[in-house]
Amino acid sequence: MEYKEKEEIREDKGYLVVEKTPGGIPRILYAGGEACAMTGLSWEELSQTDPGKVTAGLLVTPVELNGGHELWVLDSAVHRRERKARLEQMNMALEEALRAAEAASQAKSNFLSNMSHDIRTPMNAITGMTAIGLSHIDEKLRVKDCLMKIQTASTHLMSLVNDVLDMSRIDSGRMSLNEEEFSLADLVHDIAVIVRPQAGQKNQKLQIEIGDICEEELLGDPLRLRQIMVNIINNAVKYTGEGGAIRVFFGERPVEEESQAQPGQSRVWLDFVCEDNGIGMSEEFLRKIFVPFERERNTTTGKVEGTGLGMAIVKKLTERMGGRIRIESEEGKGSRFTLEIPFEAVVKEQEAGLSAGEAVLVAESDGQRAGQIVTCLKAGGLKPVHRRSGLDTVTWITEAQYEHRMPCAMLLGEELSDLPVLEVASHVRQLAGKDFPILLVSGEDWPQLEYRAVRAGINAFVPCPLFKSRLLRTLAEWTVGRQDGGSEFTDMSGDYGGFCVLLAEDNELNQEIAVELLSLTGLQVEVAGNGAEAVRIFEQSPQGHFDLIFMDIQMPVMDGYEATRRIRQMNRQDAEDICIVAMTANAFVEDIRLSREAGMNEHFSKPIDLDRLQDVLKRHLKKGAEQSQDKSRE
Amino acid sequence: MQPYQEEYISNIKEIRALAGYKKAGDRSFEEYFEQVQSDWLQKGQKIRRNMDILRYELFPALDNLFEADTDSLEELSGFAACLLDGRNELDSGLFCQIHQALLSLARLMKDRNLMIQELYWLGIGRNSQYGRVTALDLIQTDQYVSKMRLCFAEAAACLKYYDEIEDTRIRGYILRSRANMALGRFKNPSERIRLIKETLQIMQDPEYQKKEPDLPWEAFILRTHQLMAASMSHSREHIMPAQDVADVMESVYIVYQKQIQEAGEKKESIPAQILFQYHAAAFYCGFDTVEGLLEKLELLMDAVDMSDYSIKSMYGVLSVPAFYSQYLSQYPELAPKREEYLNGLYRRIVDYVAACPDAAQNESMFFYLRQLIQTFIETKDGLPYGEFLERLLIRFAPDVYVHSRIVGRAAEALCRAITEAEPDFFDDIGEFRSIEDPQMKRREVSDYAMKCGMFHDVGKVNFMKLYSQTGRQWFEEEYEMAQLHTFIGGENLSSRLSTVRYAAVAYGHHCWYDGSRGYPQSFKRLECSYRQMVDVVALIDWLENVTGNGWMHTGVCKSFNEAIEEAVSQEGRRFSPLLTAWLQDEAVARQIREIFESGRREAYYQLYQKEKRDAGEAGSAGTQSVEAGM
Repeated sequence: MEYKEKEEIREDKGYLVVEKTPGGIPRILYAGGEACAMTGLSWEELSQTDPGKVTAGLLVTPVELNGGHELWVLDSAVHRRERKARLEQMNMALEEALRAAEAASQAKSNFLSNMSHDIRTPMNAITGMTAIGLSHIDEKLRVKDCLMKIQTASTHLMSLVNDVLDMSRIDSGRMSLNEEEFSLADLVHDIAVIVRPQAGQKNQKLQIEIGDICEEELLGDPLRLRQIMVNIINNAVKYTGEGGAIRVFFGERPVEEESQAQPGQSRVWLDFVCEDNGIGMSEEFLRKIFVPFERERNTTTGKVEGTGLGMAIVKKLTERMGGRIRIESEEGKGSRFTLEIPFEAVVKEQEAGLSAGEAVLVAESDGQRAGQIVTCLKAGGLKPVHRRSGLDTVTWITEAQYEHRMPCAMLLGEELSDLPVLEVASHVRQLAGKDFPILLVSGEDWPQLEYRAVRAGINAFVPCPLFKSRLLRTLAEWTVGRQDGGSEFTDMSGDYGGFCVLLAEDNELNQEIAVELLSLTGLQVEVAGNGAEAVRIFEQSPQGHFDLIFMDIQMPVMDGYEATRRIRQMNRQDAEDICIVAMTANAFVEDIRLSREAGMNEHFSKPIDLDRLQDVLKRHLKKGAEQSQDKSRE
Repeated sequence: MQPYQEEYISNIKEIRALAGYKKAGDRSFEEYFEQVQSDWLQKGQKIRRNMDILRYELFPALDNLFEADTDSLEELSGFAACLLDGRNELDSGLFCQIHQALLSLARLMKDRNLMIQELYWLGIGRNSQYGRVTALDLIQTDQYVSKMRLCFAEAAACLKYYDEIEDTRIRGYILRSRANMALGRFKNPSERIRLIKETLQIMQDPEYQKKEPDLPWEAFILRTHQLMAASMSHSREHIMPAQDVADVMESVYIVYQKQIQEAGEKKESIPAQILFQYHAAAFYCGFDTVEGLLEKLELLMDAVDMSDYSIKSMYGVLSVPAFYSQYLSQYPELAPKREEYLNGLYRRIVDYVAACPDAAQNESMFFYLRQLIQTFIETKDGLPYGEFLERLLIRFAPDVYVHSRIVGRAAEALCRAITEAEPDFFDDIGEFRSIEDPQMKRREVSDYAMKCGMFHDVGKVNFMKLYSQTGRQWFEEEYEMAQLHTFIGGENLSSRLSTVRYAAVAYGHHCWYDGSRGYPQSFKRLECSYRQMVDVVALIDWLENVTGNGWMHTGVCKSFNEAIEEAVSQEGRRFSPLLTAWLQDEAVARQIREIFESGRREAYYQLYQKEKRDAGEAGSAGTQSVEAGM
């Protein structure tokens, strides 16, 4: 759009007759119509005005007349040029406004497009976990884990959407922060769950470290805090190339002004550092990083990523929490974000549990990881014994067993200097027996590891980054009053009171041993001397009476395959559902196949391996227990 | 031993003899093939009988182990000892099963001595199994090494109770376990050296010796020095610290240099193994250059008696060339001027193996040759790697050779049918895409399919005992180990120029079409440009296995029609739907069936002809009759 002169200005000249008196103000004696038009004033107005002022901006040519009078010839062409210049100025302003409007519109489009990317990230986690959950629908624990992860990602997604919608509130300072108790361990774990898959997709080494943590229970807004931290780590992931490294650190230190705190209260600074070896930022960008919608071009992808709101929100939220944020960055080398936010600590009573002075064997070759475990154990009053290699671990535990000084548990780390940890776990399980607690302390994703780890004899899992409270709580669950419940991750216990199993075994001594072992777990055991008897007992039992059948294969009268087939063919619901475990020394691939074809769920080799027995019970009876609990809830 | 135990052992020995390659000699093809068929049937019968023995005799005994009396337990141990005596291996898988059961019993009874004994023997069994996968990277073999090492470690930990244990034999087991912890590869070679050094200190401690004078201390110490001297080969990729060099050289002196000096004084010839180890140690420890070492090895190989099949000579004929090739691979700049020497060397080796009267029965020969498979270097005018592998398959695993040939022929037939209808079917493979003439393209594809079939199972050479000599079906652990043949085959083929185009098929032919199952998991079908041919060989290989000899290992046995039906039912999951559609074409299915039925005879005919040709007697009367029969 452009302003245009609507009517042509005539080339006419205007005339004024001006009287000049020495020392006095000049006065207009006469003004022609053109002069009135050119000045925009009426004759009456002109007659009372200083002619010098009203003609400012017009080209005036004075012609001297006699008697102190002058004829002023006013040139309208100059006036027109000036108007034109004014118009041009206005047009430029309009163009600028248009450009600004277009830029605003583009920014809005970009913003929406980038938002969709940020929304997609947690959405991917939700859809991925949903798919995994659906494909393992019968595995309650697996589904539970997926649901928990979905919950985490959904909450994050919701908070993201809310923040964008609330941006104006943040700007206007109307946003309020929640104040609730939260666990730093949970917060760090949630953050790890959200950011690890993204770093994993780019094969980045994401290291989450924990420094000194004096208070794990804090008072504040965990959702906003998580948002701040996830935002910063996500940025690091985005702007760090494939295979890059990101280090995240959490630590605490006391707030100096302790005198201001109430008695029984303490305040801490939560320190958070996120550093990467990514593309870094230019000095110019660093100056405007907290301006909303400003984003740096990602040279690894050649794209500008993100909403451009993240850092603005991070800064505002941090400041609202009374904290500070500092950024150091160098182009091509990476960035380092440092946050410090004060929190009030929630003082809780010490949980009852572990006996002070008990030995715990720690097997981990990485000095830093082992150091963290040892520190936590010492803080819990325990006596850690550290071994770096698998061979040393097995040697120590063999001696401990013979000398009746077994530790209360073994904590296996992520790595040993010589052997794979799960191989060592498997051997220690055989060597130390089924009751010896073996805990895996690892930063790896438990559902990925679970099948192999449980088969190797791992009882419970303690996730990294390692928090003292979580480690000691899990350890206490497995060493003190174990029947109170297992780890929240593996949820395994050895008490099967209320469950009933049918044991089909022809050999009397084997019967005796199996009954003895099974009864130790609280199971009610009924025995059949051959396959036909097993079929009869099952047939005559009330629906759902048996929870599991252990079936020997080679038996007189009727073998285990046939007995299984007959049970499966019975016209009753539990005949279809009941888990039948082959118990035999036949360990050929074909035997395993035949037992599956006959309708058995699992193959269990003899002589009875206590750990595998425990493993079978854990898997099948816990599943059953959860199902029956679900039923009762329904 | 119980009669069933004796029978099992006798059967295993017979199965071994029946599985080996038979020379035709002066017989006609019909006579020759009749014997091959008869051997094959007998082998099947023996395997079935062994399965019955295990199912109805041994396994019930293991079932009832808790109530077994001392005599039965001793018999069981005696039986296990016949299956593997530390040197000769008849059935290390069953050996491990028995000792695992005995170890469980010992643990339950809390019998320390029995535990030590069983841990020792189980470790020995695991070591024997580990020997099959030594060619692979540490990451794939880690679990096998670890299982072995952990057994020895637990037994060795009882050294602390040496004084409490009064049984000489058990004390011996503890000390040997201590040394055996150093067997196999280590992540860190220095760790191994440290371990052996400590063991030597224990064994040389007069206090220990005084308490048990009946133990063969000198033999124990010498074996431990041998382990230490062998540490140098594990340090190839690492720079050895000065202290490690000193420790290794000390053992090298004791094990080799002393013997060399003594032999020199007595004017006796020095075994090739000792000379080689000595020269190699000098090189690894920095006392010789690689050129110097290669020259010494050439002198050593040239001096070996090529008509002597004793282990000592065999080492010089087969093992030293394997190491020689390995050094040249590590220092490729030294290879060009040695090409001619290498060509002559490999020709000599092939002739040496061919002239051996019972090569297939010769475990040492096979062991040394397996080393050479890994280190073989191809040269412009020399023996192609594929041909070298084929010769070994024929000699040591004829049933694998026959299976591969049948798969090749059937794959060729299927590909011919496919390319008749769809000439561009295999155009994902770059070398075919560029061929414009459809007839030439068909020919090239068919030829490639045949070769892929021939080479798809070459990795099985490393598991010869599992595939050709196991006298029963596999245990689960053996099945898992056998899966590694895809890794070894893929790696060996991909590292030689003439065979690189067959590597993908060897690597991926056990993966499912949809990637959901199968092995190895690292094979990514969609990223492999050879995937259409991988699919072809995967399908044909499975069909041949389930309708042919596969039952001997896995127990799966199907008629041809059942197999076709199942393959079709698995379309889109296990097998490519593009290929299973062809199985429903009657003419194609009939052709594959005919190849499966006549393939065995045809493959042996090829072998027969080859033998005659090699002996300069090609073109016998039997040839025509066989051709007429095909």
